[in-house]
Amino acid sequence: MAAEQSDVLRGTLDLLVLKTLGLEPMHGWGIAQRIEQCSRGILGINQGSLYLALQRLQQKGCIAAEWRPSDNNRRAKYYRLTPAGRRILGEEMASWRQYVAAVELVLGTS
Amino acid sequence: MLNRIRYSVAALFRRTRVEQELDEEIAHHVALETERNIERGMSPAEARRRALVVFGGTERLKEAHRDARGTRWLEDLVADTRFATRALRRNPALTVTAVATLALVIGANTAIFSAVNATLLRPLPFADPDRLVMVGENNREFLWHMADAAPANYLDWRARVPAFRDAMAYADFPLSATLIIDGTPQLTTVAAVTGNFFSVLGVSAHLGRTLRDEETWAGTAPVVVISDRLWRQQLRANANVVGTSISVNGKQRTIVGVAPSGFSFPRPGIDVWTSIGWSKEQTTAISFRRAHWLRVVARLKDKATIAQASAQLRDVAQQLKAEYPQTNRIMEAELAPLHRFLVGDRRLPLLVLLGAVGLLLFIACANVANLQLVRAANRQREVAVRVALGAGRLRLARQAITESLVLSTAGSLLGLGLGWAGTRLLIAMQPADGSMLPVDSFPVDWRVAAFVLFIAAACGVVFGLAPAVWASRRAPNEALASGGRGSGQAVRVRAWSEKLAVLEVAIALALALGAGLLVRSYARLLDVDPGFDPRNVLATRIELPPTRYNSNAAVTEFFDNLVHRVRGIPGVVSAAAVTQLPLTNPGWSSDFSLEGASAGHFSASLLHRQVTPDYFATMRVPVLRGRVFTAGDRGPPFVVVINDEFARTYFKGQDPIGQRITFDRTPDSTSTWRTIVGVVGSEHQVSPATPPAIEAIAPFTQEDSRLMSVVARTQGDPMAVAPAVRRIVSDLDSQLAIAAMRRMTDVQAASMSRDRFLMTLLSMFAVLGVVLAIVGVYGVVAQLARSRMREMGIRIALGARGRSVQWLIIRRGLAITAIGVTLGVVGALLGARVLTRLLYGVAPTDLPTLASVIAALGGAAFVASWLPAMRSGRVDPVTILREE
Repeated sequence: MAAEQSDVLRGTLDLLVLKTLGLEPMHGWGIAQRIEQCSRGILGINQGSLYLALQRLQQKGCIAAEWRPSDNNRRAKYYRLTPAGRRILGEEMASWRQYVAAVELVLGTS
Repeated sequence: MLNRIRYSVAALFRRTRVEQELDEEIAHHVALETERNIERGMSPAEARRRALVVFGGTERLKEAHRDARGTRWLEDLVADTRFATRALRRNPALTVTAVATLALVIGANTAIFSAVNATLLRPLPFADPDRLVMVGENNREFLWHMADAAPANYLDWRARVPAFRDAMAYADFPLSATLIIDGTPQLTTVAAVTGNFFSVLGVSAHLGRTLRDEETWAGTAPVVVISDRLWRQQLRANANVVGTSISVNGKQRTIVGVAPSGFSFPRPGIDVWTSIGWSKEQTTAISFRRAHWLRVVARLKDKATIAQASAQLRDVAQQLKAEYPQTNRIMEAELAPLHRFLVGDRRLPLLVLLGAVGLLLFIACANVANLQLVRAANRQREVAVRVALGAGRLRLARQAITESLVLSTAGSLLGLGLGWAGTRLLIAMQPADGSMLPVDSFPVDWRVAAFVLFIAAACGVVFGLAPAVWASRRAPNEALASGGRGSGQAVRVRAWSEKLAVLEVAIALALALGAGLLVRSYARLLDVDPGFDPRNVLATRIELPPTRYNSNAAVTEFFDNLVHRVRGIPGVVSAAAVTQLPLTNPGWSSDFSLEGASAGHFSASLLHRQVTPDYFATMRVPVLRGRVFTAGDRGPPFVVVINDEFARTYFKGQDPIGQRITFDRTPDSTSTWRTIVGVVGSEHQVSPATPPAIEAIAPFTQEDSRLMSVVARTQGDPMAVAPAVRRIVSDLDSQLAIAAMRRMTDVQAASMSRDRFLMTLLSMFAVLGVVLAIVGVYGVVAQLARSRMREMGIRIALGARGRSVQWLIIRRGLAITAIGVTLGVVGALLGARVLTRLLYGVAPTDLPTLASVIAALGGAAFVASWLPAMRSGRVDPVTILREE
């Protein structure tokens, strides 16, 4: 299954994490699963990078973490979007769409 | 950014919790991933393995996570510090030596720097002190430089120099006044100032108001400003004091304000500021331009520069020359920043002391660096093992520096405490007149703290650097192979140590030479004959208030009675009174002319004193020619006695007796001519170091003064008669306060107190420096002896004699000393010129001093090399060789 997966583009991992957390608070494993599911298995996530990204976003104040019981009654660290994170998510999505559109334009002209 | 810092700080303080949480989070993740893998049909073991693989190595993640917390360096620092503390504790003797050395030297640095800070660096406590300048008169004939100004000149400068926003003036001599507080007379120090004194300084009253400009002039209501100290201590901090009146010298004055706490310009201990009280008529009198007794402080306009103001002042001085040729013919004017002027000649001694403690610091650092090298050499195996295991060079160097920083921090904390005690000691040691450190105490302010921090860090890096460089250059195989015993490595360490020891000896020599010169100079001062015999003399200063003693008859009668009754005290051999004690201040001076010489011929100023007849006998001043005064010298003809200095300078070969003198530069019909009736020995008027100036002494009965010192020669300790003198004074006038009562030997000591202050401190530093340097030499030689123990054992086993083996070691110590001494002599001879102005009767290149300093240091270094060498000469070869 690893073979047909693409690595997440550098720099877009933060955006994917923010978008995923925008739906609801989640723990690390949940975020990885959700991204894989939503991309229909195309985007695989290096789990190590995921936790570093979570730490990074926490330092920036985009997300906050808290411990609470998970669905199967384990203690898990849940991350949620902060208001600042929500604002940044909006900005990042806009600039990502602009970028994709620009790349499409270039690809389409050739 | 703020979030980041908050995150890092949290991570730092809850380090274990953060680590645990990460572990738990990873475990949680792995557990879920394993479950999913099992659902996909893997065996539990395989499922867990795959979960961990996908994770890409949990340890790597943890490391990356830690690095990203931004607290890595701090965690390392904590670990290094713990490690350093453990290492230092393992060798308490070395550690205690190092910390004690540093504490002593940093203490000395803190104390001296605090003094420098308080005197030279701290801005004056006035508004915009940089805009204030001191203005003075220059007179090339009298060799005056920035001297006191005549009042009329001051008024003209103030009116005519455009760059001055305003200029104030104050009388440049200590005035005292008797205040009556609750019925008791109290003598206080008074400053007579112009009305704008406070406004020019930019100082406002703590209570009430300060003086007003128009209050310069007589005719306004008599008002005073009192000090915060007087207000609190004598007037019980009465909040309603403003508007009340106080008796100053028997006159009622209204208190208009209380000066801010700590304000005591222009000299320490001032309690009352009173108006100078000129009358407008006075300003046109010639004496208003002829008598020079004012200090003038001006405030520059915001845009004016010192250079502009100087140029304008020079122009005004030129105008005045032309307008008043009689008084201002050779009078120039100059200005200087107020702070620099007030610091004056305190600057050099303080900078010399600062330099000395700086050198001391260097010696101490070199010593501690050597101790660290010894320690490092003993640990080379440990370091080699760590390098072999992959410890980074930088990391090892950092560790070595951390270790010395721990040492220097401990040393500076102790040193700061010692330094605080040192500032008390400096205050206690300083000249009684406060002429070195013009403050009662000096706080350890941010500048001092920054300074101590800086030297602590500098020390740490300096003496940590040598072992650090050494550690980072290590080839591990070499140290491991040699078993940590010797080899080329040890030789390199020794070369470092020896270089440091050479520098220590050189610096110690320079310090010792400086101190030696000051000691010799002080001995010369002690040898100076002051012109009188100061032993067994009590001096009592009395000032009569002009209100109650308003006639010559009253003043003369009082002092006649006083002297007469003091002489009657049992134990008093003789007694007299004099206007100015020798070895204090020069007192009044004037122009003069001799009969028969052309007008204006003499261009030197002549000092004046008045005495009662028995003064010369009481002080044992020799009468060289003619006679001294008798009780009969009352009315005309006026007579004077001149000192030997005057006789030799102006009557070469002639007999001065019978010649007539007047105290005018250009005698006219109003001049009073006085006949010279005797020549007496010259007393030193200011200090032993200042040669006697020409002087004319008049009988008190012909020219009285309300301010006199009564001198009494006693059979035993002069202080024994002090109570009797006090009783007589209060008997004669119960409202009179005694200004000062001192032994003449104390007066003499006070006149040299600045030299003693500097000499004592520099000697202390030199002794400390020499001891440290000798300890340094001892340490290096001892280390050498230890490392060559085996070689010595072999030599002795092969038949070498103990003494020749000893010589091998001693030779090394002597070589270090010889090179150090040579370097030190060269350096000291280049640097000693700095001391020239502080020395009396000794050249900075004084050979006897140099020789004795070299001999002392060389001797001590020899002993320091001989002690460890003795031990290696007595080595038992069997024991040494068996250890292999």
